[in-house]
Amino acid sequence: MSDYQLDDELRDALREVTNVAMGRAADLLARLLDTYVVLPIPVVNLLERSELNMALSSLRSVSSVSAVCQGFVGSRISGEALLIFNDTSFADIAELTSYSGDVTPEIELELLMDIANILIGACLKGLAEQLDLTFSQGQPVLLGQHVNIEDLVRNSSSGWQRALTVEIPYRLEGHSVDCDLLLLFTEDSINVLENKIHYLME
Amino acid sequence: MSTADSNLAEFHWLMDVLQTIDVGILVVRLDNRILAWNSFMENHSGISPDDAIDQDLFEVFPDLPREWFEHKSRTVVQLKNRAFTTWEQRPYLLRFKNNRPITGSAEFMYQNCTFIPVTNIRGEVESLCIIIYDVTDEAINKLEQQRTNAQLKELSRLDGLTGLYNRSYWEKQLEQEFRRQKRAVQTTSLIIFDIDHFKQLNDINGHLAGDHMLRQVADVVRKTIRTSDIPGRFGGEEFALILPDTPPDDAVRLAERLREQVESLVVEDEQAGPLQVTISLGVAGWHSRYERHQDWMVEADQALYRSKAAGRNCVTLA
Amino acid sequence: MSIPVLICDDSSFARKQVKRALPPGWEVSVEFAGNGEEGLAAIREGKGEVVFLDLTMPVMDGYQVLETIKAEDLPSVVIVISGDIQPEAVSRVKKMGALEFIKKPVDQAQLTKVLSDFGLYAE
Repeated sequence: MSDYQLDDELRDALREVTNVAMGRAADLLARLLDTYVVLPIPVVNLLERSELNMALSSLRSVSSVSAVCQGFVGSRISGEALLIFNDTSFADIAELTSYSGDVTPEIELELLMDIANILIGACLKGLAEQLDLTFSQGQPVLLGQHVNIEDLVRNSSSGWQRALTVEIPYRLEGHSVDCDLLLLFTEDSINVLENKIHYLME
Repeated sequence: MSTADSNLAEFHWLMDVLQTIDVGILVVRLDNRILAWNSFMENHSGISPDDAIDQDLFEVFPDLPREWFEHKSRTVVQLKNRAFTTWEQRPYLLRFKNNRPITGSAEFMYQNCTFIPVTNIRGEVESLCIIIYDVTDEAINKLEQQRTNAQLKELSRLDGLTGLYNRSYWEKQLEQEFRRQKRAVQTTSLIIFDIDHFKQLNDINGHLAGDHMLRQVADVVRKTIRTSDIPGRFGGEEFALILPDTPPDDAVRLAERLREQVESLVVEDEQAGPLQVTISLGVAGWHSRYERHQDWMVEADQALYRSKAAGRNCVTLA
Repeated sequence: MSIPVLICDDSSFARKQVKRALPPGWEVSVEFAGNGEEGLAAIREGKGEVVFLDLTMPVMDGYQVLETIKAEDLPSVVIVISGDIQPEAVSRVKKMGALEFIKKPVDQAQLTKVLSDFGLYAE
């Protein structure tokens, strides 16, 4: 499995099921914030451990971000969802959710968790339904507020080597709100995903 | 055993599990009436199911922040999407005592919560299940770690002898102030000073007396400046101050005050007896011709040398 | 005579899903396009009397295709099949001339119903 390449058909199918899942998540977010969420084309990649940080830094030109991650596991698939927010987005989001007054770090955290609950929850639910899986979600963990994007995953010391990554950059129409949802699947989940998708194609 | 009996048996052990599981399970109807209350809830709150079931949640827990809770539950119900809250957002949903009242260091139980929409067979959300996890140990560890990190960070900024900022941190602050000055309305000024004939004082009275003097001068600095000013020690007998939003004329007045305070300072050294020193100071306001923050420092440094040349114990404005 | 049907989606997985969801026995000749530009080219060649159109695509997206069809008055009936289920997206495409909006993943029963409702297919 060490020289495993991501097969085009799998990449395409994953992009498509993610597209549908994130569409549902976007719909919920749009209803919560009463705005239109611009849907991008998700990017599917197989990343080496050493490439993850590079990929993260290329997500954002700004240095200061806040992020939440949440593990998920089920049907022999496991991974983590990472939601990364531009710190400059909070003012606009606070306005959309009609928080009044100063946007304190406490309010930012509430907003971050609210949006993480929706985007991660709905996206995983959408994936699970399409692929006929069930996931347990762990408690979300705050990776940091106002930190360098490079510092987000620096402390990870578990033995993973490579991961299947699905990157979904969300934007809100007419607002300067930028956030990225990253789904990271462990290497041994790939075969299972492949089988599930194969099953869908038949 | 009949099917009914075996269903009943299954129901019994399922209820048993729900009762004994070591997480809090609370189910409320959409009108906030409590539907379920397991042993964890009973034991930690001291409220029996008889006093909780069918009661309004906010009457049972008057301290529960209503607005926050209703915002969370509304989102969960409307979007049919579960929500998680962490102790970092809110240390607890319901105030329970720490699980370890004797050896624990926290006063209360830190909690993570999961809000789960419970639907009926028609797919409508009828009630809300809230699961409460005790995460006190995890929270305490993380808070402790954050405190330690903050302390280490602070320590790495300070000069060990005087407690003023060390040169590298002070210079970083100056760099920032230099960038800020480009669009600031008010001028910031810089003071650099050193203790006159300090080498002599060291040679005659020993390094311990010298260190003693440095600490006392640092104390004078701390007492004389405002909280917004940034004092640093450059190593040796050289000190520097950033005075944000302070025009050069005001900076000269502050420098003059510092000079007088030090001049009148008498340090009682056990070995050497009473010691007195004077300082020479250079002041420089920000100027648009500076290209780098170092240019600013050079300007203040040159003013300091003019003070030395003018016979010491005086202030020169660049 | 079979109806020329065009399935325009950047994902081959999605194209196959739509093709499989077509009612069995519907007499059509199916053509595929991987983005809006290819889609329009096929439509201009008369290969898309009925078009199943995705919205999020590279090169040229579904909105631009709808605009062009309207501007050039091309002879196509468009049914949008998209994962973007926000009410805003649905009303936008209908305003732009799409006949109907079907959410992904496409469901055979729903697709069949839409086709028969608009008289494009009869059992």
